[in-house]
Amino acid sequence: MSGTQNSDWEISNRTSYWGLSFKELWQYKHLIASLVRKDFLLNYQQTVLGPLWILFQPLLTLATYVLVFGKLIQLSTGSLPPILFYFSGIVLWNLFSDSLSGTSNIFRENAHIFSKVYFPKIIMPISAICTHFLRLAIQLLLLFLLTGYFWIFQGLAIHISFWLLAIPIIILCISLMGLGMGLVFSILTAKYRDLNNLIGVGLRLLMFGTPVLYPLVAIPEKARWAVQINPLTPLFEAFRVTLFGEGSINTAFLVYSFVFTLAVLLIGLFTFNKQGDKLIDVV
Amino acid sequence: MMEVVLKVENLTKVYRIGTIGTGSLRQDFTRWWNTIFLKKHDPFFREQPSVKHSNIAADNTLWALRGISFEVGKGEVLGIIGHNGSGKSTLLKILSRIVRPTAGTVRGTGKISSLLEVGTGFNPELTGRENIYMSGYILGMGKAEIKKKFNEIVVFSGVEQFIDTPVKRYSSGMYMRLAFAVAAHLEPDILILDEVLAVGDTEFQKKCLGKIEEASQKNGRSIIFVSHDLTAVKRLCTKVLWLEKGQIREMGPTDKVVSSYLAKVTPIAEPSYNLEQSDTNLINPFFKLAKIQVKALGKDKKGLITVDTPILIDLEFNCHLTEGLIELNMRLFTAKKQWVFDLGSPFVKAKRGTLAFRSVIPANLLNDIKYSVSILIFSKTGECLGTFEECISFKVEDFREGIDYIGDWSGIIRPKIDMSLSINEIVTENP
Repeated sequence: MSGTQNSDWEISNRTSYWGLSFKELWQYKHLIASLVRKDFLLNYQQTVLGPLWILFQPLLTLATYVLVFGKLIQLSTGSLPPILFYFSGIVLWNLFSDSLSGTSNIFRENAHIFSKVYFPKIIMPISAICTHFLRLAIQLLLLFLLTGYFWIFQGLAIHISFWLLAIPIIILCISLMGLGMGLVFSILTAKYRDLNNLIGVGLRLLMFGTPVLYPLVAIPEKARWAVQINPLTPLFEAFRVTLFGEGSINTAFLVYSFVFTLAVLLIGLFTFNKQGDKLIDVV
Repeated sequence: MMEVVLKVENLTKVYRIGTIGTGSLRQDFTRWWNTIFLKKHDPFFREQPSVKHSNIAADNTLWALRGISFEVGKGEVLGIIGHNGSGKSTLLKILSRIVRPTAGTVRGTGKISSLLEVGTGFNPELTGRENIYMSGYILGMGKAEIKKKFNEIVVFSGVEQFIDTPVKRYSSGMYMRLAFAVAAHLEPDILILDEVLAVGDTEFQKKCLGKIEEASQKNGRSIIFVSHDLTAVKRLCTKVLWLEKGQIREMGPTDKVVSSYLAKVTPIAEPSYNLEQSDTNLINPFFKLAKIQVKALGKDKKGLITVDTPILIDLEFNCHLTEGLIELNMRLFTAKKQWVFDLGSPFVKAKRGTLAFRSVIPANLLNDIKYSVSILIFSKTGECLGTFEECISFKVEDFREGIDYIGDWSGIIRPKIDMSLSINEIVTENP
């Protein structure tokens, strides 16, 4: 038969780990763009403040942290003003936790679409990550404005160096780590739903194990390892070092973070590709 | 030989039942261990697996599809019919790449698009315009393609005025029309359609069918079409595949398969009386129903009653009345209790024995709906001696030849009456 010789594609029971086709993804670039647009529109439609919430949400969190941890508990923030310290932590942490929790729901939230039409499923997490990046960009802008204010009016010392170029890499690393873990969890939560509750609790605990609200040096030497094994720690520290010169960079730990990110991302992508098709039978 | 664009070979899908709950993590792990480290192929999913090889009891597996093979040629419209649960949806989902088969392959050429639901990717908060794009992208269209067809889509849907209104404010009809309009403008080489014609009013359905016909006939697109609407299947499809319990029961030319399907699935007539048990009783002390039958005469369509077959109604009673003249009254009702007609038989003299009644309802009189027959027996003086209400019901099936109209045919009867239509043009001479 002619059909067998010149067939373009084939559907069989084989699933692959490396199911990503960049060519195929490129064909769906407009879908990604319009999903991001939709996320933005829908989040802020019929709200009073609209997109300003992107800034208000971290600012309100900041106010709480400054009050509770700064004024009441008086946690040390090194030589940095607490506002800048907390805000940089909050912005980065939000990126990580949004990337993770946003991705971990992918299957449950989109089951109705996945079960009705074919498109590369990875598009959904990708568009979610893009949305978080956009949000982060806006928040970073505010962070820079705040930094500028402290620099001009409070005499804050800033170190402008080539290290600033490392910031995008650090940010990418944080969000990819969130994505990778989210992808693994998206498969697990689709199969075993109760895991979803664990993610919320786990994220909250992890936040206290990450130098979001305190510098690494504030931890007593004996217990420091517990924070250091957290692959997010070097990234948060490095971010503050490159921007404010506050904290310490340990190359070995940074490499550990990068390797961890790469590993978790690959594991996430592989399980997502391998299990994704089978999951439609379950969700 | 027609060019084959889709070739399905030995397609099988097995579902495991009840593995979502506890214990599945362990089972998943065992399976994963087996396939990855011991390099065994999936332990229970080989070709033609028998229950012996499976480590799950036979009653825990559901064979949604079993060894399906067929081909679709270029420009061909394949209809898939079958009961609920026969595997139609599973087949479509595999062809659409939504679920993977357990065994077997599907090979194809060209772009394949599927429409398993109207309005996939629609978001109620977005406007009509945004949804056209969103849904188009999800269905695999490019930006340029949508832009080019945008106006056509809007006109087709007939919601021009509301195109910038969020679709949550649309009526459900408008929503459906817009959603279908997007889908109708897909231009794949192979289009998969599932029951989507069940939306909208008759007018819109006609428009959609027209669009589909155009796609296959003019543009040489292949279509795979699942529907319960046999009229639409008959009109559109060149070939029909009848699925039963996950297997192909019959495949071939549309008319042949559809009529054998109908003959199988529709009980030709359902008596509501159990002849063994129905004895003479208080209501009918003199008559006992002994035989009741409704069947099609003539044209062999496997005994199927269609609008163009004469219908024989054949009844027999055991008569216990020994004197007087009696008459039998046959009343025909629609399923909605509309009275179609009432026929009175000639009188006969009552005797102990068998009272036989036969009547033939001519062809081309009844419509394609369900009817029921009630029988009453009267004496000469008008006294009711026996009533058998709705003692049998039957469904007349549709049959249309050379008629372009699809959709429900209104009316409780559908007689064939000669009509003529002519027009005399008035030729006015120029002064």
